[in-house]
Amino acid sequence: MSTKNEDLSSSQTVSAHSDHIMTVSTTSQRPPPPEKPEAIRTRFKVIAAFWAVIIFLGFPIWWKTTSIYRASLPIPDMIDWADGKTCRPVFPLEIRVETPFLPEPEAQHLVRTTQHTLDDLNEFSAHHLRLKLSNDNGDDPLQEPADTALTVRLLLQEDLVNPKSELQHDTTQLDVYYTPSQVPPLSSVNPPLSAYIAGELQQLFTEEKAIIAQILSDSPATGAAATSQSPSAMLSSISPQLAESIAKRLRRSMKYADTYHLAFSLFTPGAEPSSWDIQAAVHEYIVPLLQAFSPISNFTVDTQVQLYATFAPTAPAPEYDEEHAAWTLKPEDLSAFINAAEWPLSPSIGPGPTINFILYVPEAAQSPLVVKDSLATSWVVPQWGGVFLLNPANSTQLRHLSREDLQTAFLTFSHQLLTLLGAPATPAALPFRLQTLTRIRAASLLLSASSTMGSLARLTESLPSIPIPATVATSVATTLSHLTSACEHLRRGRFQAALADARVAETAAERSFFEKSMVGQMYFPDEHKVAVYLPLLGPIGVPLIVGLLKEVKKAIALRKARQVS
Amino acid sequence: MGVDRRKAAVFGGAFVLRLLLLVLFPSLPDLLTGRVEVSTPVTSFKRLQEGLFLYTRNVSPYDGGVFHQAPLLLPIFSLLPSSQGFPLPTVVLYSLIDLLNANALITISESGWAVSGRSYSAIRKHIRWDGVTIAACFLFNPFTIATCLGRSTAVFTSAGILHAISSAVTGKAFNSMLALGFASYLSIYPALLFMPLMLLCYDQRAQTAQTFPSTTVFALQHLAVFLLSIAGLLGVSALLIGDFRAFLSATYGFQLLVPDLTPNVGLWWYFFIEIFDSFREFFLGVFWLHLASYMGGLTIRLRRQPLFVLSSLLGIFAVFKPYPSISDASLYFALLPLYRHLFPLMRYTFFAVSALLYATLLGPAFYHLWIYAGSGNANFFYAITLVWSLGLSILLADTIFAALRDEWEYDNPDVRGKDVKQV
Repeated sequence: MSTKNEDLSSSQTVSAHSDHIMTVSTTSQRPPPPEKPEAIRTRFKVIAAFWAVIIFLGFPIWWKTTSIYRASLPIPDMIDWADGKTCRPVFPLEIRVETPFLPEPEAQHLVRTTQHTLDDLNEFSAHHLRLKLSNDNGDDPLQEPADTALTVRLLLQEDLVNPKSELQHDTTQLDVYYTPSQVPPLSSVNPPLSAYIAGELQQLFTEEKAIIAQILSDSPATGAAATSQSPSAMLSSISPQLAESIAKRLRRSMKYADTYHLAFSLFTPGAEPSSWDIQAAVHEYIVPLLQAFSPISNFTVDTQVQLYATFAPTAPAPEYDEEHAAWTLKPEDLSAFINAAEWPLSPSIGPGPTINFILYVPEAAQSPLVVKDSLATSWVVPQWGGVFLLNPANSTQLRHLSREDLQTAFLTFSHQLLTLLGAPATPAALPFRLQTLTRIRAASLLLSASSTMGSLARLTESLPSIPIPATVATSVATTLSHLTSACEHLRRGRFQAALADARVAETAAERSFFEKSMVGQMYFPDEHKVAVYLPLLGPIGVPLIVGLLKEVKKAIALRKARQVS
Repeated sequence: MGVDRRKAAVFGGAFVLRLLLLVLFPSLPDLLTGRVEVSTPVTSFKRLQEGLFLYTRNVSPYDGGVFHQAPLLLPIFSLLPSSQGFPLPTVVLYSLIDLLNANALITISESGWAVSGRSYSAIRKHIRWDGVTIAACFLFNPFTIATCLGRSTAVFTSAGILHAISSAVTGKAFNSMLALGFASYLSIYPALLFMPLMLLCYDQRAQTAQTFPSTTVFALQHLAVFLLSIAGLLGVSALLIGDFRAFLSATYGFQLLVPDLTPNVGLWWYFFIEIFDSFREFFLGVFWLHLASYMGGLTIRLRRQPLFVLSSLLGIFAVFKPYPSISDASLYFALLPLYRHLFPLMRYTFFAVSALLYATLLGPAFYHLWIYAGSGNANFFYAITLVWSLGLSILLADTIFAALRDEWEYDNPDVRGKDVKQV
């Protein structure tokens, strides 16, 4: 290519300079005839024509096509977010206290003393509980009210030695029963009822507090702050048991995603059962749960039936256990239960991870099939999904699985789904766990989006040659504004709204960081540009520049000659 | 009458030869249509068939992303019977276009503009071939025959260019601009020929009318005709194709931005496969400017021989345009015999001709090794296209040198017939 360019461009120089570069080489060495003025003019015009193309078309094209568009990013703001300077996530949980059987002053006194005890108990300032009487209608009517994390109802009950509490399973409500004698007098400083309520509340929120402390301490932004109230100090104070259970939960649960795909699969080694009332079962047992989860993530549901699904040939076969009259699988072999090579379990149904739920119906000859020792029929595959072994009630093979047949399986699946989505194990009430999960997710998304901003800022600063498209600047602006409002919502205790903002921020942050057009030139140092330009443009450029220089030299000589004469 | 009989014999012979090839080797047209040397993405007959199929079913022909040619070809071809069942009518049409081109060449040759212009006349103008010989050179050139049987739509562009020139040398400036507009409409690059063609028309007018029309007015008038003809053709296309924007991006956008890097005999495809993506736009600009920059320099330097500028530019296009094929080379070779008087002044004819023959023979072999046998790689074929381009470039440089030498001798009568050397 370059040789040819050179060839043609040199032919151009021939045409440009032909008048003076053709010399007659006769024996008499006669000098070539002098150039005519019009030939000089023509030559000047030819060189001017080439340079006109270069200057008026070439340079604009060069400028336009190789300039790197770098939209301006608010780098200091992004770094501040990543370093945790802009926002310290706090979790003021509002707890409403209903006292239907207490007069106002006593109720207020009880709340005040309980709050005092709570504050004394709490060693983690970011996460604290704020008690509020239910008839106390907020400090500022213009402000959106904070989410109520828990409602404490003080109920009167005779014949009780000690106060007693009970957490409602379907609402976020804690019922505390007390006898009239336990109502603290207005003069008491530290009444036992207050201490009891404070202890109960503290107990309820221990796991959540530990998880949030864990999240905050894992993040470089908030974990570094070395105060006595820092998350790491909090972490060191929790029991090893709780720490272990939190670590286990983190290992099992899926990474957070905006959308999860649930895939329910029916596998059977034979031809039957070949149908199941999956739609009814999903509607009955899964959809309500998904609706409850909808502020946290979106879900899609897929189902499939696979007949003649055999185990992998390498998987150990189930063994018959005489004692329990059942076929057993060893716990250590459960990882080989799923025949990943042959069972069609797509890991990517769409953008976002897939959670697989497998309903396995063993053939009649191998039924019932259980896990050895524990005799369990279901297990969770960490960060992947869950398995349920459905043993027909009598060992006749089922043709069709009705909604009732599926009930246990789907209740198990819904439980497994909660685990896989990272809901804390305690307490038992589902609404309470969902609220906790909302706060956990809001915290982790806020931190993750902030640290993405920091990475993006450092990346764009360290690589001055990568382009920054306008879409990235827009995404960054979206992220920062939603982070700000998420932080504000957190501070005011509106966790649902904070999570919604944090989700938007996280999505926008990921989009800006993984923008495709940015990475194209990431590893393209300036020295490479010489290697790109020189071999191609050199052969064209040299004759043009030499021609220009000659013309300029001649013009200067001519001017000098004129000045002399 | 004798000359006419010769002409009839040449034309008849060429026509019969094409039909005979079709009858003797019925698979030849399809074989040639599939060759990368003959068919490029912008001239391929296969792609035209695809566009035609969509067009006759009332679907936008550009929908499949395969067809990139001007839409006016579609109604013309939809009149012909299907080339699959009846290959004869299509080949007859292409042969007739070849004969028309040959006729235009005879007109150009007989006008004598190749040897003498308004203010210049070649020293060796007695050494020349007559029109029928030049037509025969064109019609029996294997490249022309391959293009004709390969039914590349580049022949329509060639017809436009040749008729633009033949109208210009016979004083029909208006027709000339219309024909150039047609050629530019089909494939953009002929628009670069506007300057020298306009100068040719101007010289012709000045020579015959003996009055000197104002240069600016003349240029503007012809530019207007040229642009209006293109606008008219685009208007008709817009009537044919509903989505005008899609049509523009599928045809001209495609030719300008070169997204299809199917191998061809040119230099662009390999380069743009290899270049870093971020430099793609820049080098597209460089390559197009490189192609365009010759126009100004050559036109100014060889102002007295506008027809020679036209021929040389066609040669340059055959080397440096984005999708060249042998039909572009055949157009250049068609005009080259007009300069029989320059042949004695050329120095590297042997080298150029052997390079071209070498590339012609080895090109298909290396392509086969790369694509079918799998025992070669892309570099084999690219090396051959380099040799091909080198051969053409040497031929070009040599003829330009010879023309300049001729001009120089005309200006300096005392040094005629002396040896020269280039320093």
